[in-house]
Amino acid sequence: MRPVAILGAGMTKFGRSDSTLADLMSEASVAALRDATMGNRSVDAVVVANMGAARINRQTAIASALVDRLNLFPAAAETVENGPASGASAVKVGVQAIAAGMADIVLVTGVEKMRAVNNLEATDFVASLSHPEAEYVYGVTLPSLAGMFARLYMSRYGLTRRHLAMVSIKNHANAMRNPYAHIHQEITMEGILDAPEARVNNPPIAEPLHLYDCCPVSDGAASLVLASLDVVQHLDRPDSVVMIAGIGQATDTHAVHERSEPTELSAVRLAADQAFDRAGVGPGEIDVAELHDAFTVLEIAESEAAGFFPRGEGHVALEQGVTSLGGALPINPSGGLKGRGHPVGATGVAQLVELTWQLRGDAGARQVAGAGNGFACNFGGFGNNVVATVLRSERRDHG
Amino acid sequence: MADQIQGPAIVTGSRCRSCSTVSYPQHALCPVCGHDGFDPVPIAGAGNVLTYTDLYALSLAYAQRYLRLAIVQLDGGLRVTGQLLDPDPQMGKRVKTKIGVIRESEGGKVYGLQFVPVQTSVSDVDPG
Amino acid sequence: MTSSDALEALLRPPAMDMPPYPPKAITLASGETMVVRQVARDEVPILLEAIRPLLQMERDYYDIVSARLYGELLAYKRYRVLDEYCLAGLINGELAGVVNGRLVDAKVGMSYHTLTLRRGLRVGSHLFAAKMEYHIDILGQEEVLIVAESPIGFRRWMIEYPLDKKHEVQHELGGVPSWVLTVDTYRKAKPRLCAGRRPVPEELLEEARVIRVPEGETAVVQFYGKEEAADDGLQGGAE
Repeated sequence: MRPVAILGAGMTKFGRSDSTLADLMSEASVAALRDATMGNRSVDAVVVANMGAARINRQTAIASALVDRLNLFPAAAETVENGPASGASAVKVGVQAIAAGMADIVLVTGVEKMRAVNNLEATDFVASLSHPEAEYVYGVTLPSLAGMFARLYMSRYGLTRRHLAMVSIKNHANAMRNPYAHIHQEITMEGILDAPEARVNNPPIAEPLHLYDCCPVSDGAASLVLASLDVVQHLDRPDSVVMIAGIGQATDTHAVHERSEPTELSAVRLAADQAFDRAGVGPGEIDVAELHDAFTVLEIAESEAAGFFPRGEGHVALEQGVTSLGGALPINPSGGLKGRGHPVGATGVAQLVELTWQLRGDAGARQVAGAGNGFACNFGGFGNNVVATVLRSERRDHG
Repeated sequence: MADQIQGPAIVTGSRCRSCSTVSYPQHALCPVCGHDGFDPVPIAGAGNVLTYTDLYALSLAYAQRYLRLAIVQLDGGLRVTGQLLDPDPQMGKRVKTKIGVIRESEGGKVYGLQFVPVQTSVSDVDPG
Repeated sequence: MTSSDALEALLRPPAMDMPPYPPKAITLASGETMVVRQVARDEVPILLEAIRPLLQMERDYYDIVSARLYGELLAYKRYRVLDEYCLAGLINGELAGVVNGRLVDAKVGMSYHTLTLRRGLRVGSHLFAAKMEYHIDILGQEEVLIVAESPIGFRRWMIEYPLDKKHEVQHELGGVPSWVLTVDTYRKAKPRLCAGRRPVPEELLEEARVIRVPEGETAVVQFYGKEEAADDGLQGGAE
């Protein structure tokens, strides 16, 4: 299998945008293409990650639309839909094309234009990933699955609402240093939990999860240019290159109640194990991680399932500052989904854009010093389809 | 369309004709033995609340302030998701299933699983 | 009485005695403190200056709410709406939001508008609740008539309090069927929806004594640049 490098990375600011779906994906793509010095090489294939264009934006076949916008014909193109894990899945499809020798350079762009509809409609759209007869029909929306999971997890492992609030505060603070983040607002423990006014500031969404435990609804796009390493080596590049060291993926039961052990994110564990195995590194060698904190409880649970902390001890690491920007394993330096925002199809790609910047030393005020290995977890469905990715910075041989 | 209101439906699981395992929701092949023949069996009875939530982030289909949902582990091992009608919910509490209106749509009322607390009556208490 | 006094009296009948709104302090999610206090007539020009940049902003009904509020505040200042009041939320003395309404009679109030300038911190929710607190707890009214321009924002109040229908009464803001918050519903909802500490410490009151306009550029930039802080697209910026 041919090794795959990241040649270029770019994204739009996430948030509430007047741009159309096509504008967003073009903007991110152009940023990544400009970042990738490709000489006179061209893009062989385009993979777009998106969950809701057909429903929310009434557009289909958007990868073909992107090829047109960027004049990339006759490149191959398709759209990948894997719910909230669409982004990492699209990267995986691009990697597979290069690894198999079917493409040398692939543009992967994740996009979501969620605010074309109101929040009720957006909530219902995301709820469509739940099981139609066994969950959705009961009024289940994604926050309810997270709420039920959180209650069980907290009861079993002793996490409290204060721990969840710590995740939110940390990610809001990190997002302040990220110009691309949706949310630029510091929050405090007093304001969201301790003051009597917190009950209005931070109302329940799906008990025990509250407003500040849930990521925002965002528009945005993120983009990577992937290339086979031998292509990269013929180009004028700096001394190190960010490689996709390993990708893993695993699935689990659709209905959350059918999971063999309801507090276990086994798809996260299996996907992470596979990614680490393929990358030839273990969790202990990871310097920085982007985890899928659609709900604050998930950052903690994923950090354990991926192997960074023993089961039930992720909140202890959080308390000790291990996962803060200055800690031993910063998690979500970008602000995560909570702070950076969550345009569903774009998130998986945005996680890898952030890690690319971190591993290149280009992350500015949120730089994790000396980051050499990065890990991302993109959580699809409610944990029934997870893609994990390990990135590594490698020194290049010259000549 | 008023007369689209269906009579109380039963929610069914699938009992494998080969190994008798009951699974829910429906799979094309038995999750235990892989067989592809099933008989529907009603899902009903008592169990314990595994977890629950009060959900405020509802879609347009609901005009109430919140919806109480739960995952219940029924006696016999099957787990199900449904609406919890209990003003005092607790993890581990004994509940039993009933069929009720879980949603109203343009097509009429939709029925499904609800859970109510199991009442203890005087006759259940051992006088001795 | 002079003839101009007599003419003025035609358009300005005797006002009801309205006890003042006692200011309160609210800790926001950011850790900042917002002081909620009543606005005096001579402070209206400052509010108008803050609202003016929003008059052309279509998004989230800012234009229509700003335009209507602008007129209502002018009417308040010039005594052309009977028994109108205005409350403001101030963060470090800077205007964060405005609410207003009037009394129909001793028992019934009519809520006018809620305009949020500082978004993402539930300022609108806090100020709307303060308005209801004023009508019911301070002025002793029994019900408040309510409608709103933003359907999503309004639906949230409709469900959250909840509001009752009083559709036989047309609301001033467009003659549409009114909804009403009754004293009973308010009492039940108050612990959940209304917060704040009294009395306000002297130094906070002093800081809030003079209303400051958010930098002209900032109000607009803030609106387009500073997004909701949480998954809360239901929060209309203007109601």
